[in-house]
Parts: sequence; structure tokens; C-alpha cells
Amino acid sequence: MDILANLALGFQTALGLSNLAYCLLGVFLGTAIGVLPGLGPVATIAMLLPVTIGLPPESALIMLAGIYYGAQYGGSTTAILVNLPGESSSVVTALDGYQMARQGKAGTALATAALGSFFAGTVATVLLALFAPPLADLALKFGPAEYFSLMVLGLVASIVLAQGSLLHALALIVLGLLLGLIGTDVNSGTARYTFDLPQLSDGIGFVIVAMGMFGMAEIIANLENEATRTTMVKSVTGLLPSRADLKRIVAPVLRGTALGSLLGILPGGGAMLASFAAYSMEKKVSRHPEEFGKGAIQGVAAPEAANNAGAQTSFIPMLTLGIPSNPVMALMIGAMIIQGIQPGPSVMTDQPALFWGVIVSMWVGNLFLLVLNLPLIGLWVRMIAVPYHQLYPAILVFCAIGVFSLNNSVFDIFLMAGFGVLGYVFRKLDCEPAPMLLGFILGPMMEENLRRALLISKGDPMVFASRPISAVMLVMALALLVTVLAPAVRRKREEAFQE
Amino acid sequence: MKNLPFLTIAAVAAMLSAPALAEYPDKALTMIVPFPPGGASDTTARLIAPKLTEAVGQPVVIENRPGANGSIGAAQIAQAKPDGYSLLVASIGVYAINPVLYKGLKYDPKKNFDLLTVAVRTPNALVATPNLPVNTVAELIAHLKKNPEKVTFASSGTGSSDHLTAALFWQQTGTTGLHVPYKGGGPAITDLIGGHAEVSFQNLGVVTGHIRAGKLKLLAVTSDKRIPAFPETPTMAEAGVPGVEVYSWQAVATPAGLPKEVKAKLESGLTGALAAPEVKGRFEEAGFEVVGTGSAKFSQFLDAELGRWKSVVEAGNITPDQ
Repeated sequence: MDILANLALGFQTALGLSNLAYCLLGVFLGTAIGVLPGLGPVATIAMLLPVTIGLPPESALIMLAGIYYGAQYGGSTTAILVNLPGESSSVVTALDGYQMARQGKAGTALATAALGSFFAGTVATVLLALFAPPLADLALKFGPAEYFSLMVLGLVASIVLAQGSLLHALALIVLGLLLGLIGTDVNSGTARYTFDLPQLSDGIGFVIVAMGMFGMAEIIANLENEATRTTMVKSVTGLLPSRADLKRIVAPVLRGTALGSLLGILPGGGAMLASFAAYSMEKKVSRHPEEFGKGAIQGVAAPEAANNAGAQTSFIPMLTLGIPSNPVMALMIGAMIIQGIQPGPSVMTDQPALFWGVIVSMWVGNLFLLVLNLPLIGLWVRMIAVPYHQLYPAILVFCAIGVFSLNNSVFDIFLMAGFGVLGYVFRKLDCEPAPMLLGFILGPMMEENLRRALLISKGDPMVFASRPISAVMLVMALALLVTVLAPAVRRKREEAFQE
Repeated sequence: MKNLPFLTIAAVAAMLSAPALAEYPDKALTMIVPFPPGGASDTTARLIAPKLTEAVGQPVVIENRPGANGSIGAAQIAQAKPDGYSLLVASIGVYAINPVLYKGLKYDPKKNFDLLTVAVRTPNALVATPNLPVNTVAELIAHLKKNPEKVTFASSGTGSSDHLTAALFWQQTGTTGLHVPYKGGGPAITDLIGGHAEVSFQNLGVVTGHIRAGKLKLLAVTSDKRIPAFPETPTMAEAGVPGVEVYSWQAVATPAGLPKEVKAKLESGLTGALAAPEVKGRFEEAGFEVVGTGSAKFSQFLDAELGRWKSVVEAGNITPDQ
């Protein structure tokens, strides 16, 4: 069989001593930068790009790929421990993961994240090896109309993220949409809400908003309270998940893996949607949806599995078509070009050792990550037992460095501080930032694709209904909307009758 | 000891002026790339930097300052001291297109920059999605005339060099098309391959792999002569469309007002780096052609480019409201 020969070639490449070392180096670096809030894989890979010129192409890509998925592991660590999602995909991990940490179950949450990620990574790697070319063709079926409908579905699903008032959630989603509109309009080139500040002309970076709204707001709120100001967590119980915990996470991990693998293939931010979608789905199917947001272990397992699966399958369009699905993939393509490799469908046939070596290395890397992360959990957990007056200045400094490293811009640090204050105000008003962040991410993509679809269809809105994939997603969105709104409407009516 | 005060003054004066007289450069040089890492300007800077480091004997640090189509980084260079320690590596967009497109720009490439050299260039390829029923430029023109303002032209953004190349093509052939802007070349190419958009002008190096794999149809190249990699493909002029000879280029500049010897040192360092065989080879592998013709030629070339794109923008009425 072809696939066996290919995999054998892949193992030969990936298990070479130097490639193993680069893989280990990559995942180690990735974990480290993922753990440091704000420092993301984009900045790190960009800095290492010149170094890779001197490496053989396989080693270069293996190391860079390791940084990327290593950062996915590391990113969930800070999301869980200190409520700092450094990556868009770890925003939902923070929701329940941080609550678990506050209850002293940080170790369990971290181990759940690591195990879920490992399982998802393994499955996604197998998928990648078996079905990369047909899956890539599926991704190409997604045009502007399909993306728009996918975003609508995502936005409706985000209402499920809300834990409190539905009205608050809606208001915050809209606020997120508006914030997302800041910057240069893709279609006309017009600057919107930029107040003539060139720093705003490309919009506001996700990391800036996320770290302000989550991390900095959390710090301000913690300082307010005598108990949380001294140490965050009194006692840490259970480093590893119990047998009962494991039983509870099996199904969520499986569902998250499936969802993440599928969405990750889409080059327009699919991987980003995966963790949100997985969380929403778990909350929907759970018999105890009220536990979500208060430390439900399923709320950590499913999105973590989904985001790692998505991270792996997002390599499919990059490796098979030469299409970058996110900024990290764009950098990987840059690395290939510097190496003199022409990204595109020919990579698979012209450079089989590179293609299969990178795929196999992903599985090896995931194994490294598990081995690296499980023993580290004890260490990480001890970190949050550090007196808070020592911990929070360090977090703030790393946030500032991280945000600065994105664009080398001081303006962005001030912006983050502004969002920190806003996040604190929202907290006082009982408004959760997660729906706002989703609106912020989805809004601009939705607008871009809506207008592009209508531009291509010459203004005919039927394009969304006449294209089958798009129609199916719109129907799903409608169905979901009905199930979300129906109980709320019923409750309102019951209240009305009681009066 | 009558001369003592004078000597002291002379000594102090010598000490004060010492930094200026000290051999340039005595500290690291910074190359500002006004785009994110991984793009064409960034690749250019990173391939030149090691050789320039050897030539000037000081490290060359690359700093990415992305934002506003490269205007933020370019404006930073426009305001920097002309001491030879700040360099700009940027694209046709920063030097020749932003100035004719945007009114409130914080830099003027003619006034604020000392132009050192054009580094590299790459032609655009006129590519179409495989299902489009045209195989030559003539057939495309006929198709466009039959379907005015209907055929979709994907670009990497409003006011990008590929958008303006399409506008120039329409103006030269008397045709029209439907401009569909994307956020960068990547998504535009994705939609071309998927058949969601139909035609585009993209940098040849970026689409070579897709053309070879039959995912995109190559109709013509915008270079002055045929490309060795595609000997069968005509240039625009050969295909009957003169005046659409377009290159995407990358060039190096500094703040205006460099001391003469500093400028000479940088210019020779850069042209030397570009001429080095290993650098040249790397650029060719990445799909770039090395230019490296120095300051005077760059200045003439920039005038020509500014004039040409200004008329394209005016004729096409391309006005992003600023």
C-alpha cells in the first residue's frame, strides 16, 4: 500500500536524530511561549525564520510546526491558571478551566487539556495522512457565500456561550461586531472609526482585546478583594484526573476532535471557530448545562481537543494546496519559499520526504508534548500558589512585552490597558467578555464574505440559499436559534401569566 | 603657554566632533520592514541583511513595523535621523502607489527618502481559474467585451499593485471587469483555485506551483521578455496588449539627507550584497529577479512609476475615501 510506504518514509525522516531534536526544540519553545501570556507563535516563528535558512527544509518546517502546536498546549496553561487566553482558541478554555483552577482543581484541568489535546492531535494526524488531498478539495468548495453562512452559524452558536442574561450576551456580541469594524474596509478602502490614527487603520488585534478584557480585568478585580489579593488558590487538590473525571471527558473529547478536525480544514479561520463550536455543542448536549462556566470539566476537554485537532488539520490546505489558513501558516509558506520550495500541490509529489516527515513529526511532537507537560503540571500549579503581589506584576509585564512584540508598537500597550479598564467595568455590570470576543472575531469575517458574495452574485441574495452547503448551514443556524430562544420565550410567557 | 586655551578648545572641539568623524558605522543598523514577517519585503530584507552586515562590519537588525499598507513604517523612516543607521526595505506599494492613492500620507517618497537601490523585482502573471472558457489573452478580451463588468478580477486589496495592474489592463484594452478585493494575495488565490473568482494578476513566484499543477491557467506574463520557467507563455506585449509591463519590486531607502560618504558606503554595500552569487541564487529560488542598479537609476525609475500609477488611478477613478 502506498500509504504505508509513505508513512515509512515519514517515520524515517521524522525519527532521524537531528529532526527529532528540532521537533523537541520546537515543541519546547512552543510550550514556553504559549505559557508566557501574549507571546504567540506568530512572533516567535517570525523571529526564527532567518535561522531556518541554514537548516534543511524538513528540519525547518518540523521545528516551526512544533512551535505552532506546542503553543496551543502552552496557551491553555495560562488560560486555565490565570485567565489569560493568549490565543483565540483558548478563550473558551479559560471559561471553565479558570473556574476549575479557582476551586483548586488546576491540575485536573491541565491534565484534561493535555490528554484531550494529545488524543485529538493523534486522530487529526492520522486523518491528515489518510485523507489530506480529498479534504483539501472540500475546503475549496467554500466560497464567500459558504463562509458567510458558516459565520452566521458560529454567531448564533455563540449566544449559547452566554451564562447569564441573553440580553447582555446579545448586546456584547453587537459591541464586538462594532469593534471588529474598526480599520480599513476591505471593499472600498475606506477607513472606519480610526479617528485618523494610522495605528488603527488595520483594526485592533485580537490578542490586545483578549488580554485586556480577560487578563487585565481579572487582575484589577482580584486586587479589589482581600482574599484573592493574597493568594489566588488556598489548596490544590488532585493533580491528575480521577477515574470518574476520565469517564466524563471521553465523549466530549471525541466530539471535540471530530468538530475540530472538520473546521480546521477551512482556510478562513476554521480552526478558530472549532473551540467555540465544541464548547457550544457540549453545553447543548449536556444534561447539566448550568455547570458550564462554573468549572465543568467537559468545558475544558472538548474545546481543547477541538483546537488541537483544528491546529493539525489546518496544515492540510497549507501542505496540499499551498494555501495559508492562518498567519502561522502564512509564515510557514514564507519559510518554504526562503528554502526554495514552491508551495502548492506539487510539494506532495516533489518533496515526499518533507511532506510525510512533517506529518509524522506532528504525531511525534504531540507525544513529546504529553511527556513534557504531564510532569510539568505540578510545577505550573505551584505557580498560582505564589503570593499574588509577586505574581500579578509579572503577568502584567509579560502581557505588555507580548502585545508590544506583535507590531513593535507602544500604542498597542495603551490600547490593551484601555480594554483592561473596559473589561473591569463589564465585570461590574455582569457582562461576560466571551460573546463580545466572538463577535469581534466573526463580525469582520462575516461582513467581508457577505459583501464579497453579494459582489460576485451582482447583488442577488439568493446565492446563500441556492448553494447547498450554504443553505444547510443557514437552516442549522435557524434551528439552533429556535431552540435557544424557545425556552426563553416560554419562560417570559409563564412569568406573564403568573402576574 | 599662550596657546593653551586655544589647544584646549581645539581638543574639546575635536572630542565633541569625534562621534561624527568616527568611522561609520560604529553601531548596529536597523532595517525597517513596514510589513509583517514572511512577506516579500521581509524576505528581501532577510536575504540581504547577512551580506550587508559583512560589508559594513556592523550587525543589521530587521524590525517589522506593519500597518496601513506599509505607511506606518515608511513614515517612521521619513522622520528618522539621516545618519545611515535607519533603512527602509519596502515594496512598490509604499514607494509608488500609496503616494498617488492616499491624501493624508505622512511621508513623501521623493522628499523624505534618500533612494539607495531597487533590490529585486518579480513580474505578475495573468492567471485564470481553469473553468473559465478562455485560453489566451485575446480570448479573455473577447470574453470581457461580451460580458461587460461581469467577469470577477480577484485582487489582494483595494489599491494593491495587482488591483492597479488589472485597472491598467482594462484601460489598455478598453474592457471592464468586476474588481473583488481580498485581504492579501493568499485568500484571493484560494478563491481563484476554487473557482469562486475568475481572473487575477498575481506575483508569478506565488502562483508558479498552482500553474504547474493545473490549478490555475496562465494566460500571459507582465515581464519585458518571456520567463525561462514558462517559455510557451507570451508576454503581454506579445499577446497584443502593450503598456502592461508591470513588476512588483522591492527597494531600499533611508531618511533624506545622508552624508555623502555614508550614502556611498551603503549603496555599494547593498549593490554588492545583491550581486553576491549566493544571495542572487536565493532570490531566484524564491522567484525574484535581482536588480541592484543603485541610487540614480532608482530615482529615475521611481519618477516613471509614480507618473504611470497616478494616471492609472485617475483614469480608473480609484479613490479610497480617506
